[in-house]
Amino acid sequence: MAQPNLAIIGIGEVPTRIMPERTRWDILYEVCMEAIRDAGLHKNDIEGVIATSPQAQPVIAAELAFGKLPEELGLKGCKDNCICNAGGAGTSNCLRLAEQYIHSGVARAVLIPHVTVHSDIPMEDTINFFARAGVDMQWEYPFGSTYNLIMGLMANRYMHESGCTPEQMAAVVTSLRSWAVKDPHSLFYGKEVPSVEKVLASAMINTPLHKRESNRLADGGSAMVVVSAADARKMKKPAAYKLGEAVRYFSGTPVLRNFDQVKDGLRSTAEEALAQAGISRGDVNIWNCYLAYPLAHPLMAEMLGVAPEGRGGEYFAQGRMAFGGDIPWSTMGDAPGRGHTGSGVSAATYVETARQLMGKAGERQVKDCLYVFQNTSGGSGFNNIATIWGREV
Amino acid sequence: MDTTRPMPLTQPWSKKFWEGCREGCLLIQRCQDCQNNIFYPRKFCPECWSGNLNWIEAGGRGRIHTFSTAYDMVEPRFWEDLPYTIAYVDLEEGVRMMTRIVDCRPEDIHMDMEVEVVFHKLNDEFHLPYFRPVKG
Ligand SMILES: [Zn+2]
Repeated sequence: MAQPNLAIIGIGEVPTRIMPERTRWDILYEVCMEAIRDAGLHKNDIEGVIATSPQAQPVIAAELAFGKLPEELGLKGCKDNCICNAGGAGTSNCLRLAEQYIHSGVARAVLIPHVTVHSDIPMEDTINFFARAGVDMQWEYPFGSTYNLIMGLMANRYMHESGCTPEQMAAVVTSLRSWAVKDPHSLFYGKEVPSVEKVLASAMINTPLHKRESNRLADGGSAMVVVSAADARKMKKPAAYKLGEAVRYFSGTPVLRNFDQVKDGLRSTAEEALAQAGISRGDVNIWNCYLAYPLAHPLMAEMLGVAPEGRGGEYFAQGRMAFGGDIPWSTMGDAPGRGHTGSGVSAATYVETARQLMGKAGERQVKDCLYVFQNTSGGSGFNNIATIWGREV
Repeated sequence: MDTTRPMPLTQPWSKKFWEGCREGCLLIQRCQDCQNNIFYPRKFCPECWSGNLNWIEAGGRGRIHTFSTAYDMVEPRFWEDLPYTIAYVDLEEGVRMMTRIVDCRPEDIHMDMEVEVVFHKLNDEFHLPYFRPVKG
């Protein structure tokens, strides 16, 4: 792949909350204005808008797709607008498309917003949506499969092969939440970190997934402003430069997803992204992993070479990936720590990557943060996109 | 609250599979050009794009690759079945399918367990291929 030429120079985000009175447009105004101001730009400098598609919210998705945002915010310099949908990999595609807008001369500065409000959708509708999302309607759904069950199937096999224990799995939640309680944008900010015992004492949804190992649906939103790497350097502001990227497609239907192929994909995308960035594993200051559920984190740690094979769970249980541990890992706590905002958690993961590289992460700031590894994935894991971001080119 | 059971959303080329299930036969496709066994059914062979696909009857035996037992958080239309176990089963013919494991207690199910097909009638049109432990 060609060398990336993109930098995030502005970020905006609202706290993740369960707050139906805060409308989608309330959130969009706030995050977009904050990101543009943070970039040090004027609203009319934004020449392209590429939104991450909100899931299970057809009205806002259509409004964003058909160009309402530049008009609503008075972005008078805007030349084009669209949305990208690849589930949790949507924002990765917004960033790629933004690079194309910039490279081809459509825009010099592109705004990438996301919004999700779950709390005004009837609970039954959200359960139905998450039962069917990423599940085949002929070969899986009629058997009673759900998104949670797909994750359970994968986790049970991983635990069988690796010897990872339920206690070690539960420690992933403790670890992710230890970051989240220090993050003002998290649903769990300032709250208690659940112990391993408390996680395991919660009800079983489907084996091996306990209630406290699944995600709380919430409302949130974020926005980024991106420009070319050269423009970012000229602006002389803290920025996050995209340095490397690699991707693999696995399968659309979960049952056809070969576990060995997925493992190999996680491993090789990381290696390729690191190689393109010209750095090695040891240079990475934060492993900012987006996996939506805690269950896949130990496997990811092993595939990234952060933990030896078969010992991912053990590393979490030892607290090495928790706040204060020696391996900064998912410093916003992934979806279990943030609250689940549909395709917004991966958007927020990019914002967190930029925040850390810009030195704006407050209590969670990882010292001398130069390089961040970040991945995203869409649907129930149809692909994996690995990227490397740095403070300088 | 929707409590109707969902039916498989079929394609013209998958109808034969469901006909087989109605007659107690587990059918999979076989490509006559590259000899690939195919599941789920396709319009063209995903290996070589041949349209020369036949149906063969699978032996109906396989092993559990992985499973997960649901206790909660499923749609109301599946509530009456709780708890139930979803599994990926590897057939002897080399293909993998999602199914349910029935006729045993969830706690007795284990990885790599030998299982055999048993058809579960949803209505006159659809019988789902479930699996149960092989006795003895
Ligand atoms: Zn063929």
